Amino acid sequence: MQNAPSTLGDLSNREIISAWLDGEAPGNPDLHLSHANRQVWDTYHFIGDVMRSNELAVRPSAQFQVRLGRALDAERPILATPQRKSSLGPAWRIGLSGAAMAAVVATVVWIARPAFVGTGTDATQVLADMTPSAFEDSALSAYLEAHRQMAGPSAIHQVSFQGTGL
Amino acid sequence: MLTSPVDGRLWCALEAGLLKAGHPQVSLRWLLRSWQMLCGGFAAAVAALACVTTTPTAWAADVAPDPLHMLARIQEAARQLDYAGVFVYSQGSFTQSSQVVHMVDGTGTRERLEVLDGEPLEFIRHNDEVRSLMPQRKKILLERRRTDHFPGLLVGNPTGLSDNYQVAIAPGTRRVAGRTCHLIVIEPLDNRRYGYQLCADVDTGLLLKAQTLAGDRSVIEQVMFSSIKVGGGIPAESLSPSWSTQGWTQVESIMTPVDLAGQGWRVPQPVGFLPVMQLERVMSDSNKVSQIVFSDGLAAISVFIEPYDTRGAAQKKYGPAKHGAINVFGTRIANFWLTAMGEVPVGTLKDLAESTEYVPLPE
Repeated sequence: MQNAPSTLGDLSNREIISAWLDGEAPGNPDLHLSHANRQVWDTYHFIGDVMRSNELAVRPSAQFQVRLGRALDAERPILATPQRKSSLGPAWRIGLSGAAMAAVVATVVWIARPAFVGTGTDATQVLADMTPSAFEDSALSAYLEAHRQMAGPSAIHQVSFQGTGL
Repeated sequence: MLTSPVDGRLWCALEAGLLKAGHPQVSLRWLLRSWQMLCGGFAAAVAALACVTTTPTAWAADVAPDPLHMLARIQEAARQLDYAGVFVYSQGSFTQSSQVVHMVDGTGTRERLEVLDGEPLEFIRHNDEVRSLMPQRKKILLERRRTDHFPGLLVGNPTGLSDNYQVAIAPGTRRVAGRTCHLIVIEPLDNRRYGYQLCADVDTGLLLKAQTLAGDRSVIEQVMFSSIKVGGGIPAESLSPSWSTQGWTQVESIMTPVDLAGQGWRVPQPVGFLPVMQLERVMSDSNKVSQIVFSDGLAAISVFIEPYDTRGAAQKKYGPAKHGAINVFGTRIANFWLTAMGEVPVGTLKDLAESTEYVPLPE
């Protein structure tokens, strides 16, 4: 493990520390000397402490979660997580590996939930085509016009006065 | 790589025209790349010197045109040429005819577009200012907006067009509205978008006919000129409104830029699509609605996000709806309503809507 390339080696060191912290791996004397490894050790302990006590948590700045979200989006997808052989540590400690850290710090994320819809709605089913005249009367006409206005070369023309106070 | 000076002159004129027109979406890199594709070394330099005053009016018959440049030429023709004609839009059983007059003078672009069917409606445009005239309500809506429409074609930057579509020119010519045109076949490379068949005027490059095709090659919608006159001889008074607008009420629609990501929204762009703009506008019931527009060069998707209002909830329909080539998909995310719509298959919108995330920001 110590002979791995530097970038991978860094990751594997963290893996080792995580496993060590979980009581799953013996301490490695080589790791003690590195400042970076000490920081990782302290950080992992801190995360564990925060998980057990909310009072230790710091409220992030307004933009932090957005930046974090962007950073997570920019991450290359994890195709396969490295597997550790033994996993006999306490359940709460299993969550301290790198991948799970993201889950720990991520805040509430809302996504589309079709569950609230009434029964019988099949999302993949395409509704019957509406004729444009019927469509113009529907609640979507303002959106259609806004889309056409901003989204380029449309050949069909209408105008919507919705929202202009008239 | 070698290109005749005639070819180079034509294209550098075209591109100079694009620059002159101030097309906001055309990057210099794209211009440079298309230039390099067409012009080689010294011939290019000579042609560049010679090209400045030339206007794109003729297509050398013996030159095999590059399909992508043909699309750029369509866009350029729609913006730079003087033309007047009647075009017909049809989708299913719906048809709508419009009369368009488009002229470029010393002050910029002037245009009058009159809808000939149904309720009277007229659009008077001077550069980015569009006035919509509705005589039955004696109202004028003033908007400052992007103004491309048929016979314009492209949305945004065409750089990535060939990543998403295969563009080919069919052999021979066709005839539309009494003019000879090249048939351009645009096939999507995946099922996230539709295909197109275009017919572009041989002489001027102007788009005469456009069809949107579904995966089974059925026509979803089409628009074509039924008559058209290009070039001089269009009377200036044909740009005047049909009605005197004295005493009419004029309102201006207000749109402001917005940063959805900064508000905690992660709207993932479908493969091949890039964000074109995002803005906030007032829609029905004085609700502020954010709109973000994605485009792959030809098709466009708008995503509308607004607070979910329980009073208006009955009007919000979850799931897909359809309107000609425009599909719609609505869904609720946290306490917001998201409406995705665009000239793309509904699956593209469904994927987008269901992979959109909202991460609330702490107060």
